Amino acid sequence: MSEKAVLIARVTRCSTRSFVGASRLPEADVPTFGSFCKARAQRGQSEVIGLIYDIRIEDDEMARQIAIAADPSQEQLADNRVSRLIPIEISCLAVGYSSQDGYAYALPPQPPMTLDDVFALSRDEVMAFTQSMDFVPLVFSAPGLPADELLAACLRYSAEVRPQSEQRAFLVEAGRVCARQLAGDVARLDRLVRNLAP
Amino acid sequence: MSLDIPQLIPQLQGMAQSAAEQAAELERLLPKAEQALDSCAMIEAQELMDKILRAGSRWRGARPTDESINTIFPPPELPDSFTVIGADGSQIFTDRHALALYFLINIGSIVVAHGSGEAPLVASHPELFYEQQDLYPEMMGLISSALVSGKRDAAEMAELARLSESARSQPTLALLDNGLLLWITTQELDQPTAQVEIIKSDYLRGMQAIRDTGAALGGYIDRPRTSNVLRLLHLAELPLEAINDETLRVHPYQHLTDRMLFARRLPPGHRSSRFELLPSNQDFSRAGHSIQFFYLHTGTQDQIARVEVPGWVAENSKLLDLTHAGILEECRVTGMPYVLARAHELAVVSQSDRQALERALNTLLLERGIRSEISQKELAKRWVRSGQRPSRRSSLP
Repeated sequence: MSEKAVLIARVTRCSTRSFVGASRLPEADVPTFGSFCKARAQRGQSEVIGLIYDIRIEDDEMARQIAIAADPSQEQLADNRVSRLIPIEISCLAVGYSSQDGYAYALPPQPPMTLDDVFALSRDEVMAFTQSMDFVPLVFSAPGLPADELLAACLRYSAEVRPQSEQRAFLVEAGRVCARQLAGDVARLDRLVRNLAP
Repeated sequence: MSLDIPQLIPQLQGMAQSAAEQAAELERLLPKAEQALDSCAMIEAQELMDKILRAGSRWRGARPTDESINTIFPPPELPDSFTVIGADGSQIFTDRHALALYFLINIGSIVVAHGSGEAPLVASHPELFYEQQDLYPEMMGLISSALVSGKRDAAEMAELARLSESARSQPTLALLDNGLLLWITTQELDQPTAQVEIIKSDYLRGMQAIRDTGAALGGYIDRPRTSNVLRLLHLAELPLEAINDETLRVHPYQHLTDRMLFARRLPPGHRSSRFELLPSNQDFSRAGHSIQFFYLHTGTQDQIARVEVPGWVAENSKLLDLTHAGILEECRVTGMPYVLARAHELAVVSQSDRQALERALNTLLLERGIRSEISQKELAKRWVRSGQRPSRRSSLP
């Protein structure tokens, strides 16, 4: 049975290389660093695949008011922890796009548009997208990102969505791809490979 | 930003100067008003009632109740556990420039079980109205904003009633972020009467349902600008034979508000005595829900709120105390009832929500072969909203 797509944000600003989305979500639905998402582009002809590299909890006056109160009630604290939607901003690196021909591991022809929905990629979609590791060079070449930590998190998660029997082979192959990218920097490669270990 | 602030500076200076002068004048009047409150409390009840009767049905003053009008009441004890429910509504009005004709009402609500330590129950119930009978009630043209607001008010009361039913087991306070008199019934508007009657009937049914559960009901008005009590003080100062429309219309306290008066009288947490609201109370009285009100110092930064309660709460000391103490507890952290702040948050329909709704609608229309577009005017407004640039307009000399 296919999973229901989880709306995690709406696009607020974007470029071909990356996009940023904002939303208010329950804590359980806040996406994780290194997970994949998708946003509609080209009037629905394609979907940009994003890799979440930053999650910010935005300013919230109500939470601040309760934080500084002398003696907030347990119910108010619980409300803010459990029920209130958390205002978040997520930043996503474009690592590919999907079209009728399948996935392409390159920058998309067009970015998503303002207020387009951003959905989390389902486990099946993550498995399908990471059948190829061709998105890895795009992560390494993105300036100003914690590329090693981002890749480690993303590859670990991509392994977890696979059957147990395939996880080790997937991570070994991921290590090989990273080794090719970091051939001249053994110390960095060593750190990254250690982070890949489950 | 298109507003030319530098051009407005001289006017802003004038406005600030005027506000300072007015504040000094009001400060001078307040001791007189306080004195009038104490004097009015000394007048025989029958004498005051005679004056109120003479003022007639159009007079918008307050009628005293069984509590002496200058008495103040300290915060009552709270039960160890009690429930507070808040509901608030938001709407999208019909818009002829939009993708399609519809209106939407969204009701946010929250139930806080004080003393449980548990997270409150929260809900948001949106309802879309698009059928011809919704849009064109009584064939009198497109539904007005006032009628949509009336429907929203009735939906808020219905939600409080629904939630009060599920909280029967312990003391419960249901709160609205507004006065309890249905706004649309207080307006002399050219509205389809049958529609107003339906809304009023739904609203009163909700009030009755809350009463039947044993819960208290209160309407919370933040920063009220009313002066019903000051009108009473002026009336009390007039000789009976001098009472007429002209002498009632102009009075020495007309730029003061009851809030200013009671800000000087009420210590934190205390409430004023109760008053009955005149004159727009007849329908509610007939249905057993005459409205009374009191002023309450909410305990934070000299905040004086007006709290409206039905007679069946006002005259039941347990329910009245729960309303008084429950509101204070709710205001302790947020300065206004927490449940109302949260209900508003759950109800509010933002501009981006509206755009998302219309995108979804557009997709569904296209799937059915209907190509619909917003008007050119609305489109142009969105262009400038999405990328406002500094104006190049030069200021007039």
